[in-house]
Amino acid sequence: MRSANRVASLLLASALLIGGAMLALQALLLTLDRPTPLDTAGWFDALSGTRWRDPTVQTVAGGALLLGLAILVAQLRRWTPVRLRADERDGWYLHRRCVERRLADAASAVPGVRRARVRVRRRGGQWRPRVRATGDPAARAEIEFAVHQELHRLTAPRPGRIDVRLLPRRRPA
Amino acid sequence: MTNAGHRLLWTIVALLLIAVGAAALAASLGALPGADPAAVLLSADLVDRWRMAAPWSTLAAAVAGALFALAGQRLLVREARGPGGTLRGTLSHPGRRPGRTRLAADVLADALVRDLTGNPGVRRARVVLTGPPPHPDLWIRVDLTADAPAAGVREHVRAAVRRFAATTDCQPAHLDVTARIEPSRP
Repeated sequence: MRSANRVASLLLASALLIGGAMLALQALLLTLDRPTPLDTAGWFDALSGTRWRDPTVQTVAGGALLLGLAILVAQLRRWTPVRLRADERDGWYLHRRCVERRLADAASAVPGVRRARVRVRRRGGQWRPRVRATGDPAARAEIEFAVHQELHRLTAPRPGRIDVRLLPRRRPA
Repeated sequence: MTNAGHRLLWTIVALLLIAVGAAALAASLGALPGADPAAVLLSADLVDRWRMAAPWSTLAAAVAGALFALAGQRLLVREARGPGGTLRGTLSHPGRRPGRTRLAADVLADALVRDLTGNPGVRRARVVLTGPPPHPDLWIRVDLTADAPAAGVREHVRAAVRRFAATTDCQPAHLDVTARIEPSRP
């Protein structure tokens, strides 16, 4: 969402800059009775020929309303935090993606486990790592141990429950 | 611009879109008092009034366009500059005897970066000082190598901040350290 916002802001800024400059130029040339770079006769005819009750107007207005609602919901819902607080006292935070990658590497290093993915969320002041991996279901305890060890190495606080979901490896047909 | 700034900007844009969309939809459905759904979007009366007001109407449009362009340019500049509010300039301390000690803020930040990167576990460090000079807010980002002992680096950062506070006589009001750790596998 953060990257999408950044890109959207860049597009909005460019549109404002280019659109504003063109509007200013066009209006200034009109004031001076000079030939203008944009021919606005088509727009003028379209706006003069469209009534408020036309389906086009309703479609555009409904689209704007829905787009606005979608953007509003996207902005107001809770975002996944970029970093996780490791300690209340010394202001130490760990970058969430880095922690997830490290935990995934630790889980993948367990024998019999392949392709581990880890997501870390904060619930009620505690970290909740969620591990998804392909491998032997008997390796659950070892994965939990590996994740605990890695979190300890990263000086992270003791996590709450570690949620491990192991999918058995698909056998070749 | 910060993430919070973007969030605020797009919340305002969303509210504007909702307001405009809802008003146009209400006018189109005849639910807006005073608006006739059978009327054209650009009525002849409006066009006449625009023409009568020339050249002031076109001049007003030119000014509005210039303001839009200026807003876009400011937004682009802020986008390119990144999060603002960095403390630039000098920290000034009155001495016990006549005289003052002055220190450039970016020199202090560079000194702390050098101190932080003195530990082999710290690959890169970035320091930003914000807030009022006697008790600035200290924002640190450290990139740690894959094999760095996190506890040792944490202690090193804490010691570096203590040294910074002692040297500059500036006890940070707020300390914020974000650590990024490289993946253990290449």
